[in-house]
Amino acid sequence: MKGTYLGEFEEVVLLAVAIRSGDAYGATVVTEIEQQMNRSVNLGAVHSALNRLGEKGLVTSELGGMTAERGGRRKRLYSVTAAGRRALQEIRQVRNQMWESIPTTVWT
Amino acid sequence: MKTPPRWARYLLHWFSAPHRVDELEGDLDELFQQRVEQLGIRKARRRYVKDVLSLMRPSLIKRQQPGWRSGAYAQPESLGRTGRTTLSLGSIMIQNYVKIAWRNLMRAKGYASINIAGLAVGMAASALIFLWIQSELNYDRFYSKTDRLFQVYNRDIFSGNAQVWGTTPKPLAPELKQNYPDIEDATRFRPTSFLLTAADKKLNSEGAYADPSFLSLFDFSLLAGNREKVLSGNNGIVITKTLAEKLFGTTDALGKVVQLDHKDSFSVTGVLDDLPNNTQFNGVSFLLPWTAFVTPSWDSDGWASNNNYTYVLLKDRVNPDVVNEKIKRLTATHLKGEINDVSNRQIFLHPASKWHLYSKQDNGQLTEGKIVTVRLFGIIAAFILLIAAVNFINLSTARSEKRAKEVGVRKVAGAQKSALIFQFISESVMLAFLSGILALLLIVLCIPTFNDLTDKQLTLSFGSVNFWVAAIGFVLFTGLLAGSYPAFFLANFQPVKVMKGISQSVHAVFSPRKGLVIAQFTFAIVLIIATLVIKHQINYAQNRESGYDRNNLVFTYLTGDLQEHYGSLQQELIQSGAAVAVSQSLGPITSINSRQWGLSWPGSTKADKDVEFDRFGADADFLKTTGTKLLAGREIDIRTYPTDSSAVLLNETAVKTMHLKKPVGTSISFDSRDWHVVGVVKDFIFASPYEAVNPVVVHGPKGSVPLAWASIRLNPANTTAKNLELAESVFKKYNPGYPFDYSFADESYKAKFADEQRTGLLTSLFTGLTIFISCLGLFGLAAYTAQQRTKEIGVRKVLGASVPSIIQLLTKDFIQLLGIAFVIGAPIGWYAMEKWLQDYNYRIAIGAGVFILTLCSSLLIVVLTVSFQAIKAALMNPVTSLRSE
Repeated sequence: MKGTYLGEFEEVVLLAVAIRSGDAYGATVVTEIEQQMNRSVNLGAVHSALNRLGEKGLVTSELGGMTAERGGRRKRLYSVTAAGRRALQEIRQVRNQMWESIPTTVWT
Repeated sequence: MKTPPRWARYLLHWFSAPHRVDELEGDLDELFQQRVEQLGIRKARRRYVKDVLSLMRPSLIKRQQPGWRSGAYAQPESLGRTGRTTLSLGSIMIQNYVKIAWRNLMRAKGYASINIAGLAVGMAASALIFLWIQSELNYDRFYSKTDRLFQVYNRDIFSGNAQVWGTTPKPLAPELKQNYPDIEDATRFRPTSFLLTAADKKLNSEGAYADPSFLSLFDFSLLAGNREKVLSGNNGIVITKTLAEKLFGTTDALGKVVQLDHKDSFSVTGVLDDLPNNTQFNGVSFLLPWTAFVTPSWDSDGWASNNNYTYVLLKDRVNPDVVNEKIKRLTATHLKGEINDVSNRQIFLHPASKWHLYSKQDNGQLTEGKIVTVRLFGIIAAFILLIAAVNFINLSTARSEKRAKEVGVRKVAGAQKSALIFQFISESVMLAFLSGILALLLIVLCIPTFNDLTDKQLTLSFGSVNFWVAAIGFVLFTGLLAGSYPAFFLANFQPVKVMKGISQSVHAVFSPRKGLVIAQFTFAIVLIIATLVIKHQINYAQNRESGYDRNNLVFTYLTGDLQEHYGSLQQELIQSGAAVAVSQSLGPITSINSRQWGLSWPGSTKADKDVEFDRFGADADFLKTTGTKLLAGREIDIRTYPTDSSAVLLNETAVKTMHLKKPVGTSISFDSRDWHVVGVVKDFIFASPYEAVNPVVVHGPKGSVPLAWASIRLNPANTTAKNLELAESVFKKYNPGYPFDYSFADESYKAKFADEQRTGLLTSLFTGLTIFISCLGLFGLAAYTAQQRTKEIGVRKVLGASVPSIIQLLTKDFIQLLGIAFVIGAPIGWYAMEKWLQDYNYRIAIGAGVFILTLCSSLLIVVLTVSFQAIKAALMNPVTSLRSE
């Protein structure tokens, strides 16, 4: 299915947006991923992934309020669209399906 | 302060899209604050920079598109569409042009490589020449006060001939500075050479005495020392970087002691950076204070002897003509009573910008000189570029038929003429850029050889913006020059005609190009003539009888105590077997060290006093050492006849000039002394091999100038190395403090041809290049014509034409063009070379041989180039050629 194919990093970003829903923007997505996956992430990579997700229609964004720690600068808040949620579910379903197809003998 | 690096923030603002800066910076700051807490300031800053760099990606840099709703990303479908339509029509067309241009190149690789290679060679050659011209134009013109610097010259009239010379009296500079408010400063300069010693190092070096102001007039960069003070003491010496390294092994030489000729010691007060290649002071490696200068016995401190150079600096905004008028008679007033006639003696100022390029004297004026060569090379460079461009034009228009359909389709589809012109010009600019890259490569490869040839140190300054601006400008210019004609030619095609298949007939396409081919060949022919004439002239002068035996003859300057010990030195040199004859001399016989006028002899008139004689001096064995021939009388021999110290030998020309019936025994006077003639020698070439022989006096050792040289005829029975080894041990015995320096007569003689040989070599190089480029073009053109006439040739062959007749058919046109070019080029070449030869007194006459050789060689070249294609076409099987559709 062209257009909704998700790369590994895109998937991670999309999940992070879902986790932080209501407060998902560049910086929080970065910290979320860093905490969850225990690896350092570049802001540029996150922004470009968010961009691609936006182009694919999996997230929407709107300019949100300002906070003091941002020096009074506005942030772009992202939220997962219905299509995004469907894409995540599809991935999970495919994974589950694959997990279930593993013969039990393999692990013993 | 816990802030992110400021430069990274500027960087972000610079590259990122305006509508995103705010949010990105917010994110960065927030992350930064967090990281300061967690990781510390250093890591936080590093991460900040990393993040900024990671934001440099096209998707984030891209500016907001008009169709973009703010606040939300557009949907995928609409985004795709807007993305495409926002590309302007222009850029799509340019993409298309580039694509078509590339396909055309690939379709005809041979044609394209001829085109690019020709243009690249042309560009490389003309760029090298332009570099050379640039360095010539910059000669002695890079001082900060160049436009106010002048050298003082003398002018006078001798036997009706106006003469100028650059040496001036010693008191001139101080007087100019003192009495003329227009002159800000003046300095004297006197070249000298010494054996410099420091610790165990000994070096013969060239340098000069100069007034303290010398270094403020000529602002050569001083690595150490105070510019105003370095030359103001009595015993300070300024040395160049290289000399310092040679003497002390370091440039940190301040205060160290240098001894001159094992006598006076000077301490280093300044270190100069090595003087640039393009200054007349290039040979100077040390400067001594003027106050340390001791006038030698043969010179004087008065106004009558001219042995020093004088340079002046005018005040700002002073008209040099006005100053010239004021100082004109300065030396004349001082010389009144000292020399016979001061009515014509003048001094004048020669501006620094003209020192190098305008230094040839012509009837009492300094005109032209090297600038002629510069202009000539400029013309050659322009022509080489033009020829390469002509090639390009020829090949492009020749292939026009292939592009005719394309033009037709484009026009029908609505292309404006201007768009087509733009297309073809940009195509040729693209090709020019490809050639430019190739040319750059060629230049880098050729520059060392070219530097050897021209004795320059040209470099490409890749670091400078100017260089790239010039290079790109040059390429653009060439591209436009080469592309404009084909562009207009192609854009003018009428779509109805070309689409119907009515192409212009072969002859119609051919005719506008005829002119270009003729122009190419005319230039090539002029250059061939020039090469041949220069070669002949050099050979002619080289084969001229020199009048003395140059082999096994060496000269050495008698340094230190050698002049005092000359007698024993001479004996031991012969006893040791190193030499068969030794003669004490005034100088080397290959160059004039001294000239003399004011001679009088029985029957001489007042006008005869102006006749200039070349001076040579010898004590004995002059004939045996140099190999000159005696015609009458005997040679000077002070060992047999002590009175010979005032004896004189004349050469044939001198006897003729003096109208002496019986020269031997005549008494003549010059150098405030009477001399008696003891013999006459055959003329020998003392000065330039291109000049007529001057009258020469060879006098005994009693003259005012000491015989400071020894001419040595080496023993022919030994090898040269053996002789020199033996001689060195003798020299070392009498003069242990000095190295044994010598020069060979044959080498010095050869050096007299260096300039002409260089001109000859460069001309033949450029001729070769021109011919090469022309041939490339011709080859391409011939290939094209042959291809165009494939069908015709097939039909002819079927009807029984022979192979030679077809070759003849194809070559005839080109030979006709060559003929026309020869008719135009030959007179131009003849005229130019006549002018060139006028500079030489001893010269060839341009005979018919040169022209016949030129015609034959160019004919051969054309036939070889064209016939390859012609034969290929003629041998083709008509079956295949007629089937080709």
